[in-house]
Amino acid sequence: MKGLAKGLKYTLSNLTKQNVTTQYPDVPLQMPDRFRGIQKFYPEKCIVCNQCANICPTDCIQLTGNPHPDPGKKGKIIDTYDINFEICILCDLCTEVCPTEAIVMTNNFELAEYSRDELFKDLVWLDENDNNVRKENKA
Amino acid sequence: MVNDLLTSPPGWMHAAIFFGLGACLLMIVLGFVTYAILAERKVLGFMQLRPGPNRVGGRFGLLQTVADVLKLLIKEDTIPKAADKPLFILAPVLAFAPAFMVLAAIPFSDHLKFSDLSIGLLYYIAISGITTVGILMAGWASNNKYSLLGGMRSAAQMISYEIPLVISVVGVIMFSGSLNLTEIVEGQKTVAYMFLSPLGFIVFLISSIAELNRTPFDLPEAESELVAGYHVEYSGFRWAFFMLTEYVYLFAMAALTTVLFLGGWNPVPFLGFIPGIIWFALKFSLIVFFMIWVRGTMPRLRADQLMEFAWKVLLPVALLNIFVSAVVKELFLR
Repeated sequence: MKGLAKGLKYTLSNLTKQNVTTQYPDVPLQMPDRFRGIQKFYPEKCIVCNQCANICPTDCIQLTGNPHPDPGKKGKIIDTYDINFEICILCDLCTEVCPTEAIVMTNNFELAEYSRDELFKDLVWLDENDNNVRKENKA
Repeated sequence: MVNDLLTSPPGWMHAAIFFGLGACLLMIVLGFVTYAILAERKVLGFMQLRPGPNRVGGRFGLLQTVADVLKLLIKEDTIPKAADKPLFILAPVLAFAPAFMVLAAIPFSDHLKFSDLSIGLLYYIAISGITTVGILMAGWASNNKYSLLGGMRSAAQMISYEIPLVISVVGVIMFSGSLNLTEIVEGQKTVAYMFLSPLGFIVFLISSIAELNRTPFDLPEAESELVAGYHVEYSGFRWAFFMLTEYVYLFAMAALTTVLFLGGWNPVPFLGFIPGIIWFALKFSLIVFFMIWVRGTMPRLRADQLMEFAWKVLLPVALLNIFVSAVVKELFLR
């Protein structure tokens, strides 16, 4: 009998508690900082050092660079930068290795698309992916 | 007005008026069923720390049940090849009709009632027993062993629990000296019968939950054990009728509990300015909430414990209640 009363009391007290579920598709889900989401790319910071493409364990990054237009300056500027999110595992290695923080992680995670082609993100898309950028980028 | 109608001589006009009133009551009951199902899902949701239906019809899911019923209505009507066709079609009707018939006996307030039977309580109990036949018929006619098992379980349970249910109200009948539900309510002007026979009230509450086939006594349709109980083979509209039966009985049983034990439309002391019908609705809602609350809390009983509980615990307690009630009546109500 005592157990029954205890159970009834528990369910009644649950009525006033906060729901554990979220209103996810209606209200965006806030991910904790250091979440490994879709990368944001800053073309102006990139020095075309190719380290990200080299370290990528799934080889999903392709990039090309042109010589600097100003002949007096050394180095290259980025021309194309593509990440194939069909195979990207969001491992965070490209952003760790980048010497100029030209590629950083964001807290965005919504990658569902109707076509596989749409998972192939180019420089322009990655540049525009600039909300929810991770605040602290040093490990 | 209703009292005049009930005492005036019968005629065609009379029949038409009662038909209209009956149709009104049916609409009210259907409205209740729609929102009772929603309320049940909402309250269960809140108890399980989730919001419950919140998509169809705004934030509170107000049209969720309407959408569910619409889906049931446009479903294909299937009748198994090997089923006993006439019985299969008759069963949901036979299960539902008594559920609505019992409502005729229940007085909702001083003036709002559809009959004034001198044996109202007996009528309710007798008519509600017919639903068991409908359920057993559904289980048999489906020609399916799961249905038959569910139907048998249901019949056994409903018959077993009907006995403590009836015996627990004997105390109330003794206090009021009448089987007329209106007079039973009138007898509770000073104190509700739940305080005079608390034992009877508890036994009545438990066996009414069992009569309604609700958790923790929902063995006939135990989702995780039997496929679905007696209505395995039913779909669409016919299935909706069984669902409707269940919730109309919830309405009827909550109303009966209000009338028998909670004092019907009699107000709580010092709050007499609130009209009786609202008091009835409040007490009624309290009972319905309690049923949902119990469903959200209790696990299902084991089949062998179910029968033992009815015969070895509830029945002796109900018998004891008769003696206790007699003593209380003799000592305090003379």
